[in-house]
Amino acid sequence: MNKKVLAVITREYVTRVRTKGFIIGTLIIPLMFVLIFGGVFIFSVLFQPSTKDYHVIDQSGLIYDDFVLMLSDTLDSGEPEFRFTKVDLEDQNLDTVISNLQSLINGKEIDGYLLIPEDIVESRKVKYAARSVSNWDEQKEIGRSISRIVTNYRLAKKGFPPDSIRKEFRQGRVELISRQVTEEGELEKSGASSFVLTYILAYVLFLMVMLYGQTVMRSVIEEKSQRITETIVSSMKPIELLVGKLIGISFLGLTQLIVIGLFVLGSSVYGVAIFTGFGVTTPDLLDVVNQINFSASVFAFFIIFFLMGYIFYAGLYAVIGAIVNTEDEGQHLQFPIIILIIFGFFMMFSVAQNPETSMAYWISLIPLFSPIVMFARIAVCDPVIPDGAYLSIVIMIVSTVLLLKIIAKIYRVGILMYGKKPSLKEALKWIRYS
Amino acid sequence: MKILTVENISKSFGDFKAVDGVSFSIDEGTVFGLIGPNGAGKTTTLRMIMNIIIPDSGSVSLLGNSHLDKATNQIGYLPEERGMYKKMGVGELLLFMTKLKSMNKKEAEKQIDYWLERIDLMDWKKKKIEELSKGMQQKIQFIGTILHNPKLLILDEPFGGLDPINTNLIKDIMLELKENGTTIIFSTHIMESAEKLCDEILLINKGRDIVSGRLSEVKSNFGKNNVLIEYDGNDGFLKRSDQIIKYDNYGRYVEVQLKKDADPQKLLQEAMADVRISKFEIKEPSLNDIFIEAVGSENNGESNHE
Repeated sequence: MNKKVLAVITREYVTRVRTKGFIIGTLIIPLMFVLIFGGVFIFSVLFQPSTKDYHVIDQSGLIYDDFVLMLSDTLDSGEPEFRFTKVDLEDQNLDTVISNLQSLINGKEIDGYLLIPEDIVESRKVKYAARSVSNWDEQKEIGRSISRIVTNYRLAKKGFPPDSIRKEFRQGRVELISRQVTEEGELEKSGASSFVLTYILAYVLFLMVMLYGQTVMRSVIEEKSQRITETIVSSMKPIELLVGKLIGISFLGLTQLIVIGLFVLGSSVYGVAIFTGFGVTTPDLLDVVNQINFSASVFAFFIIFFLMGYIFYAGLYAVIGAIVNTEDEGQHLQFPIIILIIFGFFMMFSVAQNPETSMAYWISLIPLFSPIVMFARIAVCDPVIPDGAYLSIVIMIVSTVLLLKIIAKIYRVGILMYGKKPSLKEALKWIRYS
Repeated sequence: MKILTVENISKSFGDFKAVDGVSFSIDEGTVFGLIGPNGAGKTTTLRMIMNIIIPDSGSVSLLGNSHLDKATNQIGYLPEERGMYKKMGVGELLLFMTKLKSMNKKEAEKQIDYWLERIDLMDWKKKKIEELSKGMQQKIQFIGTILHNPKLLILDEPFGGLDPINTNLIKDIMLELKENGTTIIFSTHIMESAEKLCDEILLINKGRDIVSGRLSEVKSNFGKNNVLIEYDGNDGFLKRSDQIIKYDNYGRYVEVQLKKDADPQKLLQEAMADVRISKFEIKEPSLNDIFIEAVGSENNGESNHE
């Protein structure tokens, strides 16, 4: 390779990789993983729920005994989850009892009360009153328990034995076992895990293409606004400077990807072990960690589509950098590009759910969108390579080369043009000018 | 050998003719001054030489190549619009500049140290550019253009923004480079520095070359040889001499403007016959005079805004 281009590549890479911004930015994504998982873990340890005290007015007299039996779980601390106290009305006025309960609640002596009406089996309405009603899980649990008791009553009333009916319901439940059909045969794969993976990767791809495109733009603007360009292009061709810049900054992106990739790989191999080791047993959490499941080919395509998407969009960003004089102007002019990238990102959601439709096929061939959309199809269909995957790579490369040829001409004129920002029409004229 | 030949180059920006049919050539080892008022087309001319702006017509041949790319490593260029990467270290930046000239690293390091020492900025080698004062940055950029020992050095307003001490330093370095055989082209609108440094000049105004050639020839061709005489005696010789266009007599001191092709020696003889002479000085027109005369007559009748 041309040594001057190499010098530019090295400069672009070295002067950026050592900045605080880059180091922090690179660590933030893995750190976010750690914070989210660590946070969940810490919360589960620090914020053990305490025993909840409820008073129950059971006017029907049907519910209370079964209800207390059903909700007799204990917390991790060994304390019971709920403590229920039955309130007998005897001759007292209901309103008096309730107002007493209200003052108990306001005095923080109990957490709440339940009012089960006499006609509960027919009316199916229970009043739940508490200081806070945002404990959705708890309310669901209480409601479910009462529902079961009421259902049992209703079944028994109609002459159905509740226990055997419940048993039938349980035993009649059917599980759908999904298998993906590939050339090699049928593969076991859960739909959910491939979506989680695809969304995460597509999002990272989207962010990185935009972020590093902007880095290229800022780099061009710096050279232009600091009047560095003229010194550089007296030693090398503008196109060489642009190519060196694009490659140097792409290495920056690759560095970041490798750091994140190693982290994700590490967590997919050791993740479950580490979390189990910490005593985390929440099944939801382990599922998420388990779902981080990289296949080598998805990773390879990820790198390929990152590089292609990056060069394509960074080229457009370079043009903006060459046209404008200040970063502010650049920030404004970049909106059309951001909208294009975001558009591809949003289409990715529907394409990932229906990767085999002809709409998905055609959209993923358009160079503006294929980096994210085609990658999403590949990730969702993994290990099957979807139709058009290789074709999209060819289209992408050809269109990038063509684009760069046009870009180089605008870039060449723009970087040495100080003063008034040209209109798009003027900038397009530069294509012929050089 | 002609190190640079410029043939009839022109460049317009819209309706404005920045450079209009300028031609010149430069011999190896010459210090060549491109002079002219602001907006005369000096920078545009230099940019066309550096292939940064493509001429509308005409051609440039550098070091025998019609294509700059082959010669770029032997050329040092200091643009008028100058600046450097603010976040880079001084040594690091200079090393980067030598890489752009395909210099080998060992030699580059040696040159960087030598020149940093020379401009007295060795202590700043590890500092970032942004920590330097503007004058220091300018000196750094100047040595950045000469580290690779270029055959041809092109400097656009090299003294712009420098204090007198640094101006002298840069001037001394330019002379030192000339001694070593470097050809130097520099543009300036400050006539004093051009007069002291240049072997040859090209004076351009409104994009056209109006005066060019060796500085000494330009001066004598300017046909405005003045003679100063301090004398004691009768001034009759002034009236008799056929060498004189006009004179300005102060009694014991007279300023004489000689005719074109006149011989000052003959005037001296004529004067000696009449008076005692305590001082006889042939006063060449200064570049400043030439500049004002040439540019002034060109811009005759127009207001000349800076």
